[in-house]
Amino acid sequence: MPENETIQDLNLDEYKYDFVAKTEPVFRAQKGLSEEVVRQISAHKDEPEWMLEFRLKALKVYESKPMPKWGGDLDSLEEVLDEIYFYVRPQEKMERSWDDVPEEIKNTFEKLGIPEAERKMLAGVGAQYESEMVYHSLREEWEKQGVIFDSIEDGLKNHPELFREYFATVIPTADNKFSAMNSAVWSGGSFVYIPKGVSLDTPLQAYFRVNQERMGQFERTLIIIDEGAQAHYIEGCTAPVYSTESFHSGVIEIIVKDNARFRYTTIQNWSNNMYNLVTQRAFVGAGGHMEWLDGNLGSKLTMKYPSCYLMGEGAHGEILSIAYAGDGQHQDTGGKVVHVAPHTTSSIVSKSISKGTGRSTYRGLLKVHKGAHHARSNVECDALLIDATSRTDTYPYIEIEESDAHVGHEASVSKIGEEQLFYLKSRGIAADEAMAMIVRGFIEPIAKLLPMEYAVELNRLIEMEMEGSVG
Amino acid sequence: MTETALKEGVTGALSAAAVERLALGEPGWLRERREHAWDVYERTPMPTTKLEEWRHTDLKKKLDLDALRLSELETAPDDPTEWPARLRTTMEEDEEAAGRVVIIDGHVVHTELDASLVDQGVILMSLHDAVDLHGDLVREHLATVAIPAEDGKFAALNAALWGDGVFLFVPQGVRLELPVRVTRWVSEAGTAYFSRALLVAEANSQVSYVDELLSPDFDAQTFASTAVEVFAAAGSRVLCVSVQRLGRGVFYQSMQRTLAQRDSQLDTLNVALGASVSRVDLNARLLGPGANSELLGLYFADGDQHFDFNTSQDHVEPDTCSNLLYKGALDGNSRGIFRGIIRVHPDAQRTDAYQTNRNLLLSRGARADSLPNLEIEADDVRCSHGATVGALDAEARFYLMSRGLGPIQAERLVVLGFLGEVLSKLPLAGVVQKVTRVIEEKLAQQG
Repeated sequence: MPENETIQDLNLDEYKYDFVAKTEPVFRAQKGLSEEVVRQISAHKDEPEWMLEFRLKALKVYESKPMPKWGGDLDSLEEVLDEIYFYVRPQEKMERSWDDVPEEIKNTFEKLGIPEAERKMLAGVGAQYESEMVYHSLREEWEKQGVIFDSIEDGLKNHPELFREYFATVIPTADNKFSAMNSAVWSGGSFVYIPKGVSLDTPLQAYFRVNQERMGQFERTLIIIDEGAQAHYIEGCTAPVYSTESFHSGVIEIIVKDNARFRYTTIQNWSNNMYNLVTQRAFVGAGGHMEWLDGNLGSKLTMKYPSCYLMGEGAHGEILSIAYAGDGQHQDTGGKVVHVAPHTTSSIVSKSISKGTGRSTYRGLLKVHKGAHHARSNVECDALLIDATSRTDTYPYIEIEESDAHVGHEASVSKIGEEQLFYLKSRGIAADEAMAMIVRGFIEPIAKLLPMEYAVELNRLIEMEMEGSVG
Repeated sequence: MTETALKEGVTGALSAAAVERLALGEPGWLRERREHAWDVYERTPMPTTKLEEWRHTDLKKKLDLDALRLSELETAPDDPTEWPARLRTTMEEDEEAAGRVVIIDGHVVHTELDASLVDQGVILMSLHDAVDLHGDLVREHLATVAIPAEDGKFAALNAALWGDGVFLFVPQGVRLELPVRVTRWVSEAGTAYFSRALLVAEANSQVSYVDELLSPDFDAQTFASTAVEVFAAAGSRVLCVSVQRLGRGVFYQSMQRTLAQRDSQLDTLNVALGASVSRVDLNARLLGPGANSELLGLYFADGDQHFDFNTSQDHVEPDTCSNLLYKGALDGNSRGIFRGIIRVHPDAQRTDAYQTNRNLLLSRGARADSLPNLEIEADDVRCSHGATVGALDAEARFYLMSRGLGPIQAERLVVLGFLGEVLSKLPLAGVVQKVTRVIEEKLAQQG
């Protein structure tokens, strides 16, 4: 940070993604969820019959499942859902060039810095606006090598066999109430296939934007990393601040085949009126390597536990999670690792910061099935509490059915030390700057794994949130 | 009350009639308390695995309340020569005690207390006698603020059907140098026993309480339920030890709640070695600045034993401290479950709370589940928890074998060392020796 810049100078004390574009959707389904809405979505997508049947079946499963009683406060969610638009079609077709994207939508993504980032450093970009992907592109060099990076709808249209082989195999419809809901009304998301042995050296990025009030977004992403391939996928999410609640419920399915490596990075910065209930899971084959890098900064309530199922011998899973809960926010996040095969290893590192009336919860599962001998796993959770009204919880579940396994869990909760603050102040650093510095140090192990632009973004956000937190 | 009575778990033996029989001749307040508890019991559903706290212990499979009967024995022998040999032997091992209570099949058959302590106002007697002789003290503390019937299905059942138990009262400033020892023996297969212990330590007093449970192995399921309520007033020091050595066939169900006031030290140790199913619910409440609780636990299961510990540390007031260490070794097809929670309440600033659970799996068939939880609602706290599950340290075993020990001896030594960490924190040498010896015996049986 330049020396002359104080936190006030940065003028970042507002949610900077709070702007609304004046776009008129080409179609908007009626409010709430019904069979008619599901049929409309399917018709708009011109889907094969089996997908419509899949959706209708999922709707029944959704209706039969009770609202979860654990996790965050979902008491008023049913009322919210009655007022939500489950499907909003922003434009007629998806574009391959930014020039063809309607002006208002393009301006939105310009403001978010997406086209610029694409030019600089990305292998491919997808952008979702309301319910549909409005833009998708992949650099030619990768296309030539057989990489597929497309909207999920085009994945179904253009690669029906590959799609059907994997779709809903990692996260079955009935996995939970919200995976069932997503299965009924999914719209948008990415379809990614990396062929055997292909290594993408720059990331793919998908950007999710909710613009309209009372909007429900249901991205569905399916990613297949074939044997020995490598890739990194980044998703970012923002929305304007409305007085009513919005809803986002994604299902992300990932298949990491033998000896493949994959990293999935999320920077979730939804506005504070968003319910964010997401199911993310990866199956990892022998010698495969899966990393979830999960940053949850926005939303009203997030319930999200990225998971790795280590199915093949020697598979490795890693979950790095950082959560920030400010006033009125509840981040109920964590991770799950299920060791199914022998000699599998995993690590979960979670860091959370709670400020004001914010609440951050780590909820995790570490399971070693019988037969997964020589499994090794370690879980570390650290929570930082900023104010007397902040709250943090840790609920790690450890279930071990195999004697020849070593697992450990450690968690700590602390307040920023008076001594640390005093030391920095004695070196001439202002109190809130010192506070931000300590917090940055706390999240450093995770922030350093982020692509540069995100690391900078995260640091700025921390500075902005820490402002005025020293009484 | 609009709730309809569910009457789950109401059986031929566990019935309103049984409550009435027990209440015969008791003072009105106690009868009312039993009847109220029974009412709560009838209205409370039986816990199922859908409840987080019972997720790993399926009562439908593990407990058959219908088959249980209540003991019809009017008395038990008070002449020590008629006591079972194992009971006598284990009592003889105990070094000097400040006082003793022997309970056989729910009947207090023997109490003794050092005469100088009697003079200083210490009370040690059966709960029934205390109801008659110290009614006000019992009325104030029994199933009220510590373990009221409303606590849950089993708290209500015990409060309605308790047969007898122990009452211990230590007046202000009185310090017991030697422990009070309670030895309990259960002999009838297929019966349900409900007992309670009520410990009241006044300001600046000091006492250690050691409770040992024994029984033979049973063919029919036998149910032993206990509720232990411990009150530690300002500046007192209380240590409560439970050594559970019941036989196979027993479903042991224990509820313990400790209430620690300002500047008190209130510690517990739970040793679980016996029974087929053991479920312990322990809640330590820190209710005044300077209060401090150590929660120690040690378990060693084999065969198809199923041990389930559910602990909680509630920091209610500022400037309190708690530290939990539960270690277990699991052999055969046994299962160990540890679920612990630290709750730091909103006003409890400057809390120090720690929680550690470590498990050693000694066989392919054993299983450990560890759920160490934190709920923190104050910001100026230091809290941490840790849990591990692992196999025997091959290096440690190899080292011992390189020093000439056989593989079995080496393994035993490693297990003893692992569990010994818990015992090393206990200030009662006699208890440490005894528990060590019992673990050695159990290890030798693995042979």
